Amino acid sequence: MDFQDRVFRTVFFGASVLSAGVTVAVLGFMILLSLPVLKMGFLWEVLTSPWSPGRGQFGILPMMAGTLALAFLSLLVSLPVSLGCAFFMEILHPRGAGALLKKLVHFMTAVPTVIYGFVGVFLLVPLVQEFFAYGSGMCILSASLMLGLVISPTLILFFSESFSRVPQHYLNAVDSLGGTVFQKLRHVILPQAWPGMLTGMVLAFGRAMGDTLIALMISGNAVLMPSSLLDSTRTLTAHIALIFAADFDSTEFKILFISGIVLYAMTSLGILFARYFHKRALS
Amino acid sequence: MKKNIQIRMDHLWFHYHDRVVLEDIRIEIEKNAITAISGPSGQGKSSFLMVLNRLWENIPGARVTGRVEMDFGKGFEDIHRSSLPVHRLRQRVGMVFQTPNPLPMSIYKNIAFPLTLMGEKDRAKIAFRVEAALKKAYLWDEVKDRLAENAETLSGGQQQRLCMARALAAEPTVLLLDEPTSSLDEASVRVIEDLLLELKKSCTIILVSHYMDQIQRIADHCLVLSDRRLRPDTAKGRDI
Repeated sequence: MDFQDRVFRTVFFGASVLSAGVTVAVLGFMILLSLPVLKMGFLWEVLTSPWSPGRGQFGILPMMAGTLALAFLSLLVSLPVSLGCAFFMEILHPRGAGALLKKLVHFMTAVPTVIYGFVGVFLLVPLVQEFFAYGSGMCILSASLMLGLVISPTLILFFSESFSRVPQHYLNAVDSLGGTVFQKLRHVILPQAWPGMLTGMVLAFGRAMGDTLIALMISGNAVLMPSSLLDSTRTLTAHIALIFAADFDSTEFKILFISGIVLYAMTSLGILFARYFHKRALS
Repeated sequence: MKKNIQIRMDHLWFHYHDRVVLEDIRIEIEKNAITAISGPSGQGKSSFLMVLNRLWENIPGARVTGRVEMDFGKGFEDIHRSSLPVHRLRQRVGMVFQTPNPLPMSIYKNIAFPLTLMGEKDRAKIAFRVEAALKKAYLWDEVKDRLAENAETLSGGQQQRLCMARALAAEPTVLLLDEPTSSLDEASVRVIEDLLLELKKSCTIILVSHYMDQIQRIADHCLVLSDRRLRPDTAKGRDI
């Protein structure tokens, strides 16, 4: 191995160690900061009780539920639309309209989330309020619709990438046997593209869980266990942002580090599940 | 003049971007016969086959003009007319590619696949036709105990016969074969040739082949594709 090779190897190895190290260090840092709360011995209470600081209750269960509800619903909203969009772009019209659409989707990834938030607040929220004639319109439904839009470029680009990697000779085989485009999608493209699509779904789900602005601006931020689509809810991320902006030494503030760890753990669990299913799908 | 015509082509041009691949092709292809197409590599023999099942429409930059008519029992029909959905045409005009392309599913499902596409639900009928197709392609004895295995685990020669069986399961009127024996050993080649001779009783076969001896053995007519034009192979005395 010559000198240049060795330098490249060392640089790349250093870069991967650094990025993996930072990820682990963040977790370590969060655990370190939450030690004072952990030592007080009410971790279980924090994870299971409601949030009512006035009565000395600092539970984050409603926020955990709100986070999961929003992430699941936004994925549910985004999935069929993204699937259709990717299919149109990659299979039905790979040139012309499809290529144009793809450019547009790429552009969507560059739009700051706060813009979607504005559109949500001034367009979607009044619509939802008017349609259901209930509450302020700042609710789980509005937030998950807008969050669905925010995560859709991730889904669309992952789906279309997975579709484009289906070997051409499989597609030729179905075409030459007289399959319609939808039969081709159902029998060959979806089964083949499934592992890649799953990865996209997990990343989009992670993005939905980690999003702060949409939840903060549109979901209403009431600390309630979500029970209906028209309920207001607060996510862990929004909770952290709200408390952080107002406080820096109270118990409420210290609990934030636990919230951070829980968010970290939820995202990691999602990724582990995806890895497991990905492996199963491949085998 | 032949009495029994299956395919008529008139003023057929095939363009790939600005390049002319096929120029003003005017031919007639006989029903229930084997028509061989030979000629140098890269002259558009595969493109010619793809005109007949409209698979060229999948190639970016390809353009076909002219008239192609086929007789599926109700007189000549233009294969490009809008009232004939392309998948219906391809169910009648089967194709076997040079490189075997089994789908990533079991042997059984591969053969049953064209029937699934046609909406066939009767399991007994599907099982019967799968077995018949595998027997026709001389593959049944080798795979009858491993029908649930992935078709991609078969050897190259077996995969090619699988693709042949799959095309036959749809009972096509016209069968297009793009050098179907180029990846096979001598014994398998003979098996396929016997199969083609048997098949022509029920099917019109168009065979692209490099092997002059193969053409001599089984073809009823031979056409040579060179310089963008398709001409009868008069040198062999097999004028059509």
